[in-house]
Amino acid sequence: MARILVIDDEQYIRTALREVLEREGFEVSAASNGKQGLAMLEDQGADLVITDVIMPGMDGVATLERIKAAHPDIPVIVISGGGNIAPQDYEPGAIATSAYLASASRAGASCTLTKPFNRAELMSAVSGLLSA
Amino acid sequence: MVVMVLVVQALLMPPLFFVLDHAVKRTMTDNFVDDVRLYSQVFVNEFSIMPDPGDRDAVVELLDAAMLGGHSSYAALQIGDELVASSLMGDAELADFREDFAFGDHGDSVYYLSAAVDFTPPMKILRLGFDERPLQESLASIRRVALSVAAIFLVLSVGVMGIVSSSIVQPLKRLRRASRAISSGNVEVELESTSDLVEIQGLTKDLEAMRRDLVGMNLRLQQEMKERELADAERRGMEGYLRQAQRLESLGTLAGGVAHEFNNVLQPIMLYTELALEDVPKGTPASINLKRVLELANRAKGLSRQILTFGRSEDSSEFQSVDLRPIVHEAVTMIRALLPATIDIRMEIGVDIGRVNCDPSQIKQLIVNLCNNAYRALSRPDDHIAIALNEVIISPDAAGRNANLSPGEYVVLSVADTGEGMDEETVQRVFEPFFTTRDIGDGTGLGLSVVHGIVVRHQGDIMIESNPGKGTRVRVYLPLAEDVAD
Repeated sequence: MARILVIDDEQYIRTALREVLEREGFEVSAASNGKQGLAMLEDQGADLVITDVIMPGMDGVATLERIKAAHPDIPVIVISGGGNIAPQDYEPGAIATSAYLASASRAGASCTLTKPFNRAELMSAVSGLLSA
Repeated sequence: MVVMVLVVQALLMPPLFFVLDHAVKRTMTDNFVDDVRLYSQVFVNEFSIMPDPGDRDAVVELLDAAMLGGHSSYAALQIGDELVASSLMGDAELADFREDFAFGDHGDSVYYLSAAVDFTPPMKILRLGFDERPLQESLASIRRVALSVAAIFLVLSVGVMGIVSSSIVQPLKRLRRASRAISSGNVEVELESTSDLVEIQGLTKDLEAMRRDLVGMNLRLQQEMKERELADAERRGMEGYLRQAQRLESLGTLAGGVAHEFNNVLQPIMLYTELALEDVPKGTPASINLKRVLELANRAKGLSRQILTFGRSEDSSEFQSVDLRPIVHEAVTMIRALLPATIDIRMEIGVDIGRVNCDPSQIKQLIVNLCNNAYRALSRPDDHIAIALNEVIISPDAAGRNANLSPGEYVVLSVADTGEGMDEETVQRVFEPFFTTRDIGDGTGLGLSVVHGIVVRHQGDIMIESNPGKGTRVRVYLPLAEDVAD
């Protein structure tokens, strides 16, 4: 059974993704930030990583770069709240999400999904990556 | 002034004439009287020294001599009661004697005088008469001469005054009228000299030079004022535009932030609802309600996409050089399908329209949003929507007034309606996200915000003209693609 690591700072997104993926028959582990996610990946390993792009601490792109550096073969789906606008609590001039997504693609993201996506969209991305 | 001089002359002339006339007459008649008295005295002396006063022939001879020696017309010597007359006189004239005391007395043209020769009886008195006419004639001729001199003087002075008037007074008056006109603001009056006098010509020339300076300065000042007003208007327009752009930008930032958070909330709602749907039997009220939740979540997703479309500004990856005509046709076909069939939608698409660098799907979205607004504004049965596509050239001059347009060629998409229209205050706010005049739940207030975002992304501009009660026209300017050659 394929194992999927979900990294998102939003608790309900983590739990919702976990439940959907578990119902689809995946083994799911979840982390609330990039650092924790990397540690879990080293600990337990994974066949696929789904990570948010804007997170406090280590952001999604940096996390992605670290994952790709250690495990170039693990596909990564980057998910984002969409738009080019950084949330209010970010530094002025913080990089816009579309730029995040672009740099995520450059950093080796296998695909990107814009929130909110539905179950079908998620599953088509996941199964496409895992069957390859 | 000239008239005054003439009046004074006319008033002074008669007294002057009479005084002179009187003085001349007085002097001449006095001379006459003195002369004749002296003449008489000579003969009185002659008579008094006569050797034989009784010799009548000698008396008559002396009287004849008195007649012949002067202008006398009468000469007689009264001796006692007897009157001896000159032989040169007729008897009839003898009685004419009437003693004159002044020249011209009695009106008989003869000056009669008597002078005593001897008071011892028989008393002798010499009576002589002198013709007054020669003197009267010469007086009359002097008067005639004086009168004609006065007349000539009058004529001459009228002439001189005329010359003075035409060469000095009239030109000066004209100058004064002109300078009054200038001082009252009509600086275009040209100063011309109509005088032959060098001084007046010089004065006119100097004043004309001053006027030209004044006019030049005036023109320069007017020009400067106009330029300044124009610059002010431009600056105000630019400031207004920048304020608007800043407000929209900050609103976009805020809305984008909200949309991002919103998406993070929508994400679990969507997935949980799908999970729950799986868990409840199909067809149950719970299932139906969960489907509704999912539907609403999808609508919310659409909303948040629109907000993000408004806020996004640099993403032009989907841009391609396209002909807008088929896009407009396609969009209008879609709108016709969406709106009631009774709505009159008119299209006027220019024949030769250049290509535009754009994202066709965004342009379609823009047209749909504008048409939707136009449709919502319609209120009367004969109202209609007019869509037009044209090419325009924005000159550098016109670009100054439209802060967001640089000079160049543009395709103009115009969507006009004959509906309710908007007041100025509403027009100012239409691009703000969530600004709507419709009832809550009827409109999102995002339609024009999205349109604005699309226009900005295409480096175009949007202008709204609206008249309350008459309708609204929205014009979208999109720059022509540079590779016009294909």
